[in-house]
Amino acid sequence: MVVVPKTRKEMPVTALSVPTIGSAGKTGFWRDFKPVWVELVSPCTYDCPANNSIPKIFEKVRNGKLDEAAKIFLETNPFPSITGRVCPHLCERHCNRGEYDEIISIRSIERFLGDYVLKKKGERGFHEISAETGKKIAIIGSGPAGLSAAYYLRKIGHNVTIFESEKKLGGVLAYGIPPYRLPKQIVEKEVAALAKMGIKIKTGTAIGKGVTFEVIQKEFDVALLAIGAWKERDIGIPGEEFMMSGLEFLKEVNKGLREPPGMAVAVIGGGNVGIDVARTLKRLGAEPTILYRRTEKEMPAIDEEIQKAKEDGIEFRFLTQPVEASKRNGKIVLKCIKMRLGEPDATGRRRPIPIEGSEFTLEFDAVIKAVGERPDTTWIPRKFLNEKGWIKADPATGFVGENVFAAGDLVSGPATVVEAISAGRKTARSINQYLRGEEIKLEAPLEKPVKIEKINIEYYEPKERVKTFELPPEERTKSLDKEETLGVSLEEVESEADRCFSCGYCRSCRICWIFCPDSSIEIKDDSKPEFDYDYCKGCGICSNECPCGVITMQREEE
Amino acid sequence: MMESIKELSKEEYLLKGHIACAGCGLTISLRLLFKALGNKLVMVVPACCTSVIPGPYPYTSFAVPVQNIIFEATGATASGVVAAFRQRGIKDVPVVGWAGDGGTFDIGIQALSGAAERETNFIYICYDNEAYGNTGIQRSGATPYGAWTTTTPTGKKERKKDMPFIMAAHRIPYIATACPSYPMDFINKIRKAKEIKGTKFIHILAPCPTGWRYDTSKTVEIGRLAVQTGMWALFEIEYGKFKLNSPSDRLIDKAKRKPVKEYLSLQGRFRKLTEDDIEKIQRWVDEDWERYRKLALNQYV
Repeated sequence: MVVVPKTRKEMPVTALSVPTIGSAGKTGFWRDFKPVWVELVSPCTYDCPANNSIPKIFEKVRNGKLDEAAKIFLETNPFPSITGRVCPHLCERHCNRGEYDEIISIRSIERFLGDYVLKKKGERGFHEISAETGKKIAIIGSGPAGLSAAYYLRKIGHNVTIFESEKKLGGVLAYGIPPYRLPKQIVEKEVAALAKMGIKIKTGTAIGKGVTFEVIQKEFDVALLAIGAWKERDIGIPGEEFMMSGLEFLKEVNKGLREPPGMAVAVIGGGNVGIDVARTLKRLGAEPTILYRRTEKEMPAIDEEIQKAKEDGIEFRFLTQPVEASKRNGKIVLKCIKMRLGEPDATGRRRPIPIEGSEFTLEFDAVIKAVGERPDTTWIPRKFLNEKGWIKADPATGFVGENVFAAGDLVSGPATVVEAISAGRKTARSINQYLRGEEIKLEAPLEKPVKIEKINIEYYEPKERVKTFELPPEERTKSLDKEETLGVSLEEVESEADRCFSCGYCRSCRICWIFCPDSSIEIKDDSKPEFDYDYCKGCGICSNECPCGVITMQREEE
Repeated sequence: MMESIKELSKEEYLLKGHIACAGCGLTISLRLLFKALGNKLVMVVPACCTSVIPGPYPYTSFAVPVQNIIFEATGATASGVVAAFRQRGIKDVPVVGWAGDGGTFDIGIQALSGAAERETNFIYICYDNEAYGNTGIQRSGATPYGAWTTTTPTGKKERKKDMPFIMAAHRIPYIATACPSYPMDFINKIRKAKEIKGTKFIHILAPCPTGWRYDTSKTVEIGRLAVQTGMWALFEIEYGKFKLNSPSDRLIDKAKRKPVKEYLSLQGRFRKLTEDDIEKIQRWVDEDWERYRKLALNQYV
């Protein structure tokens, strides 16, 4: 308590140690600007299709709390062990650390935590599941979108059944992506963990054959379609019957096929399926050639995969368009035409234009086409489809009509695993709102990400990005089943987490506190700063020095 | 650095509500002093900003014992406190003389010199804001060449005294320079001084937004630039042995130092410097560093 002397006699012998109250009073009124602690969106979170809270996860890693770090991952992505391997990691694209030395290897941390949590997932009580709601949900298709939705819906306490036409769950994870990129035991473990959560699994059950969709609709409160895009598109040229489908080929390989269809194999298409097919063929001992009608720059495949395919020694023939296929002496003869690039089309890529009179022929033992995939919607009731045969779903909420929802490639067309996982989570959210009888509302869009100007880079030492070890091409092309990228150690993960600028998320470093000239920042138990606005003079040092950009100066109202 | 800051005490002995200017470099330094020593110390403070900022009687923002004394008497008063402690058998309470640059370079130099010569067991800390601050920015022996003050309206024409080396000539056991922009280096030096017997002199660069004419939010940044440009070197002279400290120890190579212009151009007090002046200051800094390089090599001053 502050003693206020009233008479001369009451005046103390020495001055009393209390915050001054006399003439100066509370120094907060000197202020024009006040510091406010605001968490901002990091570029990695912004760019990640699943909006994983990467800086938050790294902060837990820095504090040695791996369980908590993994659990934050699971809030937006239930399968980091899978995305840690196959994701193109758009999150790393605009990493602010890249403007200082090297971008953060988010992928290696994701993979490490994914593998770490995979061991724990089987443990009882790791996933907290809310009380049973009694609502029954059918999920048709068990690719990343279906599994992701199943995870989130089950966590809320719904009764979830997955229907899968194949023998194993996983969709593209089990039957599409080749094992050198994604070992199948990882998918199996993830699926086993889901089963332990109490999700019912019906494999070998194709809806439309035997059980009709109408029955599913009637028996369940909600039906979620997550069937992916498994139908190979036609090129639309004569002789296509001599070609195999890229997806079918990958499916056979994932089921155990280890014989290439021939020695010289043409792969038509420059997407991810095309690259997967070509690299798989190489590992089976064949000599694949990729034919693509535009140039490398326009290839829709993941850049890293294109580079790896080149390292593997796969031949690329760009600006080459097959116009006719025929069979001669057991070989397939492809008549092709040379292309040139014209003006950009709707996708922003330059349109290929045939060069007249430039036809030539190539001879192969087999030809595999992978020119794009689309969903097989033939068994879905007409009322849910548009005139082009695509599902009539709201791309953001996944709502189709009646009690039907859809997610993943079925809605978006062929996309990445992480996009399907994100769609699964968002649709699970919509389904939950629907079941509660609420209006289906979207999550608020993220604010623009933090720029490097907001970060005080003086607090970081230059340090190299952790290197992931990859098998050299001559070794990796020998085996289809050996994973080609290896994981990193805990020390490396910690080093990487330490390099992170933690853009817009407090590192609990107390830099603001140590530099406050007015003793007006208090560090609370959770290590976050709190400002005493009664005394803060608004100098702005805390905001200027913050290594993460979480303190913003705001003009005081008059 | 971020890790070691977490281990510091959360206790504050410079209470909020003091009346230092916003963004004051000296108050950051004071807080760091208390982080290093806690509240078990006696401070002797002459006329300077520090004697003003606790606010008017009957209250004070200091939660430690402070003796406010006349301008020239820091060394003498501290000697008296030390003598009294010796008489009473008090051994574990460090006596800290805390004075500004005016009270050290100019007015208090005789008392300090005498106390050092008598090998008085105390820590003398000079927080250097390169002018007489609380009287409204007049030039002092610490004001650098070219700097504006109210008494050098066109910029000071003379160079700053090299105070740590004046103290080195007293052959005292410990001399150090510090800057609040490097808080752990600052705290470690004060803790080290506490353990050494005899007179210890610590020279602190305390950026002053009011006198130096820069935005209040840049205090720590200016201090950091002073070190990065080599205008302020972090070093210790321990029993005559010279040693540069991190990050100054990495700046012996001129290419690693930022140009002094980066430090000067942020401050209004240097606004009137010509290119020739800046070149001159750069040359002086380079000469100083040549001296530091040789000292670091031979080790002894």
